[in-house]
Amino acid sequence: MMTEAAALKPKAFKSVKKSERISNILSYGLLGVLALIWMFPIVWIILNAFRTEYNTSGQLIGIVVSHYFPTQLGLENFKLLFQETLFPRWFLNTLMVAFFTFILSTFLTLCVAYVMSKLKFKMRKRYLSVAIILGLFPGFMSMIAIYYILKALQLTQTLFALILVYSSGAGLGFYVAKGFFDIIPDSLVESGRLDGATNFQIFTKIIVPISKPIIIYTALTSFIGPWMDFIFARVILGETNVELHTVAVGLYYMMYGERIDSNVFTIFCAGCVIVAIPIVALFLMMQKYYVEGVTAGAVKG
Amino acid sequence: MNNEDNADKKGFLSAFHKFFNKIKELFVAFAKRFKDASTGTKISHFVMGFGNIKHKQILKGIIFFIVQLGFISLMVFSPEINATPFGSKSLVNLITLGTEAGDISNPTDNSMLMLLFGIVTIGMILLFVMTYFASIRSSYKADLDIREGKLPTTFKQDLQALLDERFHIAMLTPALIGILVFTLLPTIFMISIAFTNFDSLHPAGQVLFDWVGFENFVNVFNGTGEIGHRFLPVLGWTILWAFLATFSNYIGGILLALLINRKGVKGKKVWRTIFIVTIALPQFITLLAMRNLMADYGPINTFMVNIGLIDEPINFLANAASPWVARITIVVINIWIGVPFTMLMTSGILMNVPRDLYEAAQIDGATKRQAFRYITIPYVVFVTTPYLITSFIGNITNFNIIFLLTGGAPNVPGYIAGETDLLITWLYKLTIDQNEYNLGAVVGILTFIITATATLLTYTRSKSFKEEDAFQ
Amino acid sequence: MKKALLILALSFTVLLAAVGCNSDNTLKIWVGSESEAFYTEKMVEYVTEYNNTHDEEFPYEVVVSGVDTGTAASTFLDDTEAGADIFTVAHDNLGKLIAGSSSIAPITSAALLAQIDADNPDSFKDVIKGTVDGTTYTFGIPYIAQSLVLYYNTSYITAEQAETWEGILAAAKAANKQALSLTGTDGFNNSFLLLATDATDHSTSLELYTDGVQENCFATGDDTIAKLKWGQSFFLDANGAKKPSESGWEVEISDEKSISVIGGAWHFSAAQAALGENLGITTLPTFTLTEDDAYGTAVAGTVYKSGSFADTKMFVMKKNSERAEYLEDILLFLSSTAVQEESFEAVQNLPAYKNAATEFEAFQEDTLEADLASAQVEMFSWGIPQPFGFSSRFNTYFYSKGAPELILAILENAENAYSTDQDIYDQMVEIQSIWTTGLKLE
Repeated sequence: MMTEAAALKPKAFKSVKKSERISNILSYGLLGVLALIWMFPIVWIILNAFRTEYNTSGQLIGIVVSHYFPTQLGLENFKLLFQETLFPRWFLNTLMVAFFTFILSTFLTLCVAYVMSKLKFKMRKRYLSVAIILGLFPGFMSMIAIYYILKALQLTQTLFALILVYSSGAGLGFYVAKGFFDIIPDSLVESGRLDGATNFQIFTKIIVPISKPIIIYTALTSFIGPWMDFIFARVILGETNVELHTVAVGLYYMMYGERIDSNVFTIFCAGCVIVAIPIVALFLMMQKYYVEGVTAGAVKG
Repeated sequence: MNNEDNADKKGFLSAFHKFFNKIKELFVAFAKRFKDASTGTKISHFVMGFGNIKHKQILKGIIFFIVQLGFISLMVFSPEINATPFGSKSLVNLITLGTEAGDISNPTDNSMLMLLFGIVTIGMILLFVMTYFASIRSSYKADLDIREGKLPTTFKQDLQALLDERFHIAMLTPALIGILVFTLLPTIFMISIAFTNFDSLHPAGQVLFDWVGFENFVNVFNGTGEIGHRFLPVLGWTILWAFLATFSNYIGGILLALLINRKGVKGKKVWRTIFIVTIALPQFITLLAMRNLMADYGPINTFMVNIGLIDEPINFLANAASPWVARITIVVINIWIGVPFTMLMTSGILMNVPRDLYEAAQIDGATKRQAFRYITIPYVVFVTTPYLITSFIGNITNFNIIFLLTGGAPNVPGYIAGETDLLITWLYKLTIDQNEYNLGAVVGILTFIITATATLLTYTRSKSFKEEDAFQ
Repeated sequence: MKKALLILALSFTVLLAAVGCNSDNTLKIWVGSESEAFYTEKMVEYVTEYNNTHDEEFPYEVVVSGVDTGTAASTFLDDTEAGADIFTVAHDNLGKLIAGSSSIAPITSAALLAQIDADNPDSFKDVIKGTVDGTTYTFGIPYIAQSLVLYYNTSYITAEQAETWEGILAAAKAANKQALSLTGTDGFNNSFLLLATDATDHSTSLELYTDGVQENCFATGDDTIAKLKWGQSFFLDANGAKKPSESGWEVEISDEKSISVIGGAWHFSAAQAALGENLGITTLPTFTLTEDDAYGTAVAGTVYKSGSFADTKMFVMKKNSERAEYLEDILLFLSSTAVQEESFEAVQNLPAYKNAATEFEAFQEDTLEADLASAQVEMFSWGIPQPFGFSSRFNTYFYSKGAPELILAILENAENAYSTDQDIYDQMVEIQSIWTTGLKLE
């Protein structure tokens, strides 16, 4: 319906104005309703983070309540989050893991993608097909095995292990970046070679400078990953050391678990808001590159 | 019949012959090289790196020698990690998977570690064999260089080669190590588990488990136990879910992108941002919010009761009366989760529709509406088809939404896999929750077969796209 | 590729060389994360005391760490290497630890065994044992316990009404509210009917894995059917119990949609937030069979007291420890009634000690916390520990294979399929089948 409306553009000048105005109003109305639906749960989390209501015995109400808009706002939940939980520690852990993952992962992804796209060598085809096949095995399947391998290396319950596991996926997840390099004309590489540059020089001096979008895309996705993952992190870090948890694991255990104290919901929300701020900010700043990356990956398959 | 049989046999035999000949050639080449090589290289066949050292490639030679020394001592001494030997002993253990049953004061052999270490040992033997040949080749190459009057390459030259003609090796090695340790090895390990009886009754280190051949797979097909009864229903729902999720997101995303990108709509960036926030938020947060909003006395039910749409609250997520309530709810929530992503992607594509296509249409006298219908839509569909297929595969293994929203509920009496469980959440439940590792591995392998088939189909298809070269 | 392979082979060798055994001098103790600080302090006390009374210094460095005891034991339970010298498990995880050859050590110290025997309620003594190679050993030392209680809204329900479900139902009718909410749909939450016992002599025909034998389940006794019939009428009454759902009980209570909820100690804070001054806490109420509920030998007028699973957390020791003697001495101290009492005062760990309700001072105070503790301890005699520790599969069969849903179907009379006694009986046969075999009857 609206797609037709979008294309509708009758010829007569007068009716153009009128029908366009109507369809504009319709579009805005529809967008408004959709935006409302999309923001509803998110605003709810944010409002709950700032909700500071007290019950008759003066206790902070931390549970889920039925009214959408709080009657009292304040920063109590954030205070409790920082004083009563290990959230600051979790945040630093995650920041550290995310930082090193993004360095290592971006580096590996670019290397592999570039090699696969622009260098021709004997094992290339075989590597590509092995990468595709391995990538299709569900990751959870090998989770247990990874745990025991890390244990044999005495790395379980360390953040380093988490960085390794997150980054090691890069060797297989290079497709989006490869799609980007595929678009770069081979002639660029050839001309570099004619000038007598080594492959290393071609990569660092010619390719990297023009690959900003894909570098940012890769960096962004690998940086955000550790903030979201609560499965691998849970298995690798284990429950034994709360101080090692990432924000995702820490917050996950606050609300999902068998015997949880559900009076910490508002504190959980406060944690979510703090986690969301840097990610959303990054995301919005890098939106352009993200779109380019996603589009490149999608189009190339 | 007979003829066909014979033909088969012949085909088989000739393939066998070819294989045999190839091996023979390898041996002949090996022997020839041995004969031709200098004494140093000959000794290299027994003491790795000797030839290199003799050719003044000292560092390289030492490295080869250390590798050999390390490998041999590993094999001979079989050091223990977590009370399980590693090395030549682990090859025997790989076959037996442990013999010592243990009792109240003595530990049981850890079958699982024995399996793992056995696989690693085989991998290391393969790596060692490759290094062995590499060392001989390297020494022999130095022989030839000397014969041609050249100097053997120095270590520095070798390193420099890594930045140019062997650049791909330098670039790939770190990634390869990661794949080997964290993907290939675990995958082989879990595939092996599918052929054992490693389950909740055989916890590693307490009860020995053993190889059982194809028993677990046979059970899938003769309808025995959890996996035999639940595989087809779970598979059916997984595929249905993947279809529903993919197409609802795809269509919804394109429509939303078109709406935002309409000429008359101002503040495109703001609108887009509103929707994009949902991509940037971790799903365990947004889905928890959803779960609470859908509670019996949550805002959604209250709203619907208030406007008179329903009489009493709907139990959206664990409705035992009909699994379809939960299923439809999940698909709808998934639209909320996934549409912004497609929107973001299609927006990019919509802005990039080649201008000349429109211009050509205008010359042909097409109206805007026609241009939209015959250019914009086909272009978007054409460009995004590969995405459609990959996102279909992605949805087959879409874990978060099911795990966080329903955990597979409503349950099916007598089985682990619930009505909304996908193969992937079933796999998770079997391994992590129930410790039925062998069944989990079987489900994992079957999931792989399904996604692999889908990918294979995709590939042949996207190849035909590529050959078409560009959208006409 | 040879360079790559070479580097690969090398790095493997180096990694392996790096993996050596570094035997250290620390003695690790894992306790619930909430009580890490408390037990750290206690161990400092212990070591000081040890050094004062012995000629030698205590030879180990003690490290106490907080662990989520439920998940620590279940996620990678077969991975005992990761464990500590002394760790805490919920009793229903014991089965996994002693399957086959056992990965934890049996207790041998006579002093410790005597203390366990003297301090614990009988029901706990059964679930801390396990049989390996035909011999039964004691493996666990209970030191924390918990059970379910009733949280209710005192502005609608008087303390006297809260003693019976009939009283609560009457209060609900008067206010046109629902009598009860449950905190979830699983088998733990709806067990209050199944586990109900005769209020006069504690008798019940229900059997759940008696003596740890898979076949020893009995769910089709006359009294069980009668209890479920009563439960059905309680759930079907417009003012009776609310159909359980996965989330939202907090809202149901705080918005006074329903006026009571069955919960554990972990629900206390939320219940208090929801009800404020109106929160009352007591043991689970009783109910009386009506003419309609009577079935076979279970006659009208019989009074049953709702039951609960009473869980205990216990210390267990690492197998084959050369420090076993030291460990048992530490455990003698950590599980003593004195430390249990202090632990309750410091971090509200509910003691497993059977006479805590009368002997511990903190229980005598007039606070909600003391009410909660007393109600729980009283519930120990009306409940059983979850008897799933004997085999890791019992837990799965009872909770994860759909039996709880079948019980809920009876209570809610789903699709009017459970209107007759025979329907309910047949359903209980199915449930019994799932409990014993993991599968429904075909």
